[in-house]
Amino acid sequence: MSDNDNNTDIDEGDGPTADGSGIVAPDDETPTWSERKERSQGLSRLTYEYFERARREDQDLRVESDYVERDVLAFPAWPHEMVRNLALTSFFVGMTVFLAAAMPMHIGAPANPSNTPAVILPDWYLYWSFGLLKLGPLNPDLALLGGQKLMADRTYGVLANLVVVGFISIVPFLNKGAARRPVEQPFWAAVGVSGVVYAITISALSVKNLLPMDSHLLFDLTFLLPIVGACISYAVFKSMREGYMFELNRRYYRLRPPK
Amino acid sequence: MADEFAKGFTILVTAGLAWLTLAGWYNTPSFEGQQLTGADPTSGLTVYDQVALVLKDALFWFAILGFVTFVVVIPAIRKLREAYEGTPEVPE
Repeated sequence: MSDNDNNTDIDEGDGPTADGSGIVAPDDETPTWSERKERSQGLSRLTYEYFERARREDQDLRVESDYVERDVLAFPAWPHEMVRNLALTSFFVGMTVFLAAAMPMHIGAPANPSNTPAVILPDWYLYWSFGLLKLGPLNPDLALLGGQKLMADRTYGVLANLVVVGFISIVPFLNKGAARRPVEQPFWAAVGVSGVVYAITISALSVKNLLPMDSHLLFDLTFLLPIVGACISYAVFKSMREGYMFELNRRYYRLRPPK
Repeated sequence: MADEFAKGFTILVTAGLAWLTLAGWYNTPSFEGQQLTGADPTSGLTVYDQVALVLKDALFWFAILGFVTFVVVIPAIRKLREAYEGTPEVPE
């Protein structure tokens, strides 16, 4: 297509055209007899038929369509993308208007600026940071300093924030694989699950005085549950690799571009 | 299967939203008290209020049972029928 742009007098190039001709593979890509035999039965046969049918349907659509094939493989923004975007936007605007009209927000009494409330908490999405300030029992006290702690508990809590943020910031460099499904890399998926579970448990630790359970047990569970969650999810993902669909999907996902 | 899931999910979110609204009106005694699970009001109910209370319970169970029906029961019946008739399993 694109390499024929300056040769307007030659209509039939090597590349595929809109009517579906020119789809035969070049000689150096023609499958050998052993390759043909390999896909003549079982899963390889099914996979081959699946892609052959998909290719055929795509070809038929191109033949039926009056759409002009261009070099860029995409849909135009109008109307394809905008219809979807407007539908989503209308849904969320409508939901906001509906909830605001049906269940208006309660406006409480004005706060008393001279009186600190008994329970002070950040917004829920900062509970994890608040919980890191309550890791005092982990603050090691060194005998070298005569039983004194190396740093105050609050300093330790602030440094714990730096550790967590630092770990999150190196996550993109830990594993740069192209896997898009957890079953393809069970270990890293388990690491992710433990991180999510830890975010939840450390948030629960931050409100330990509001939870109806022993705070020491809660403190232990904060660090135990992420490990348990990682082990369970690793086992589940590992066992999912045995399935029939995993093999089929792996062939499909191999088609994606390399990392 | 994806179609059945979409039906069940639509029932869940639509009926659930209507139940949420009615429960927010009738079963939320105060902003800082029980949310959506308070006791039904008993006195001073107009006909509309009584209809709304009945509708609230109906929508709640419609959301639960509708979701379970389309996502669990119907696919399970199909699987059982496939197994009973001995047809090969269709991967979904």
